[in-house]
Amino acid sequence: MIIASPLVRIRDLVKTFGEGETATRVLKGVDLDLQAAEFVALLGPSGSGKSTLMSIIGTLMRPTSGELSMLGRSLIGMAEDELTEFRNSYLGFVFQAHHLLPDFTAEENVCFPAAGRAGFERAADRARAASLLERVGLADRRAYRATQLSGGQKQRVALARALMNKPQLVLADEPTGNLDRESSDQVLHLLREMNKELRTTFLITTHDEGVAAFCDRRIHILDGKVAETAGAAP
Amino acid sequence: MPFVVKVAWRYLLSSRLQTALLLSGVAIGVIAVVFITALLGGLKIYLIRQTTENIPHVTLEQPDQLATFLPGDPAARQIYVRLKTKDRREQILQWRSAMAIVGRTGGIAAAAPLIFGSGFVLRGQALAPVSVQGVEPEKLDAISPISPKIVAGSAMVDLQALLIGVTLADDLGLRVGQPVVLRSDRGRERTLVVRGIYRTGLGNLDERTAYVHIKTARTLFDLPQGVSEIDIKLADLNAADEYAARLGAATGLKATSWISRNKQIFLALDNQARTGTMIKFFAMLTIMIGVASALLLTTFRRRAEIGIMRAMGLSRRFIVGVFLLQGVFIGLGGALLGAASGFALASLLGLNAIQNGGTGLPIDAAEGSYIEGILVTTLCGLLAALLPARAAARIDPMDAINQ
Repeated sequence: MIIASPLVRIRDLVKTFGEGETATRVLKGVDLDLQAAEFVALLGPSGSGKSTLMSIIGTLMRPTSGELSMLGRSLIGMAEDELTEFRNSYLGFVFQAHHLLPDFTAEENVCFPAAGRAGFERAADRARAASLLERVGLADRRAYRATQLSGGQKQRVALARALMNKPQLVLADEPTGNLDRESSDQVLHLLREMNKELRTTFLITTHDEGVAAFCDRRIHILDGKVAETAGAAP
Repeated sequence: MPFVVKVAWRYLLSSRLQTALLLSGVAIGVIAVVFITALLGGLKIYLIRQTTENIPHVTLEQPDQLATFLPGDPAARQIYVRLKTKDRREQILQWRSAMAIVGRTGGIAAAAPLIFGSGFVLRGQALAPVSVQGVEPEKLDAISPISPKIVAGSAMVDLQALLIGVTLADDLGLRVGQPVVLRSDRGRERTLVVRGIYRTGLGNLDERTAYVHIKTARTLFDLPQGVSEIDIKLADLNAADEYAARLGAATGLKATSWISRNKQIFLALDNQARTGTMIKFFAMLTIMIGVASALLLTTFRRRAEIGIMRAMGLSRRFIVGVFLLQGVFIGLGGALLGAASGFALASLLGLNAIQNGGTGLPIDAAEGSYIEGILVTTLCGLLAALLPARAAARIDPMDAINQ
């Protein structure tokens, strides 16, 4: 029997902030696997450690101890420059507050990860950005600045930007947290469609059980540990 | 266009007011630099022109005549005493051959033999000390342009003629056509007629100098054949040292350049230049501090954006590049603006000084340090951006995104 190795493998992951008496252990030995093309919800109350776990998986923060590997490569000992390159190539981010760059158009925002890596805005990258914007229903907003877009539109641009470099894993932190019901549903459906079309793994943090119910698998974090996993990997 | 350039440019354009203020600040600093260099350069030219207008660029004189030592008994202890005397007037006897050598040398604008000495102008009981200059009439203006400065009478130098300055004429109450007695330091006297009165604006010439015919000077100073010196004007006054060395070697005479005789002017100019350098230094320092603080504020204002760029996998080098380029653009843009404005201001003030008869500041717009100003200011913009760029590159993406 051939067992496919997971896209992300986490073992006994610990994260402590501060030192000595003021030290706070936020993650207390997390074990977790994420499979390719999974659509996973990460749930937990505030302060449970889910944002810290997301940051560590996103290589924006280093763990205190434990193992973290992705695509078979350990990310623990990687140098800063290597991690930056890895992030650019294999990871995408969607934040609750969209965080688009306000001085750039929707298309330029989407192009950013590719242009930053290549050093130039190549025609092929612009074409892909346009196609992604079309896919998220914003073909007519390509030349709009971020400040000229609605909340839902901004989040859809942020999703297109996260997918620009064809990442293996998209980390979405409360992607519908700031949106109204209609926009929230639109974005959520879009995330799901992209997951199926591109076979990109999505890890979505949320407080919303409705969002969680939309996912293949739900992972509950409680007090710095994986408390419960519901659903199954595809 | 490289993407880093696009991002830096867009950041500057998106904060138009801040960018305009920064460019203005840099431009004002560069205007100060251009203005001070144009002023110091103009002042240097003015001072040198004023200094050299009425003096020779190179002077040829008889070398000091010293007695030769005669060797005595080498075994005996010997004491030498060398006496210098002023009883004999120094003169160049072979001045005609020296003039011929000078005439064959290229780059000579004018050369004139001269007999000079001290004397007194007497009118009745009144007496005034003067420096007497015996000149060939056709070479009166060769060294100091006297003819254009005649305010009464004419510049005709015949054997009875005496040309004096306006201050001396006032002191002795002399007018054109009046006879006066000129007594030399050799005790010789000649009665001469005031043919012309000049005004040069230089105290020494207007008050204590009198021009006579060279033949008149010969009798007054007992120099029947020789001349006191040969005065030379050059086409390029800055080459005076080089010409002095060359003519001294060619004629065997003692040659002195105006540069070596006026070292104090160059000392003063050096001091001015040092002052200018200090002003430039402080102007650049002010520019750097202004640009650095504005860009530092930008890094704080754009913390979240920088964090997002880092999260997207853009390297620290890219972030550093964005901020360094902003510094370069501000430095270069402000410098170009400042250099153009400085040129316009210096031209206007220089023109104004000329139109006011030279009474304004002696600014020469062509002397402004434009290229140096632009290059140094651009470099300062780059250096000023180092600290903000470093701060931006060190921003933690998670902290910035979560702020």
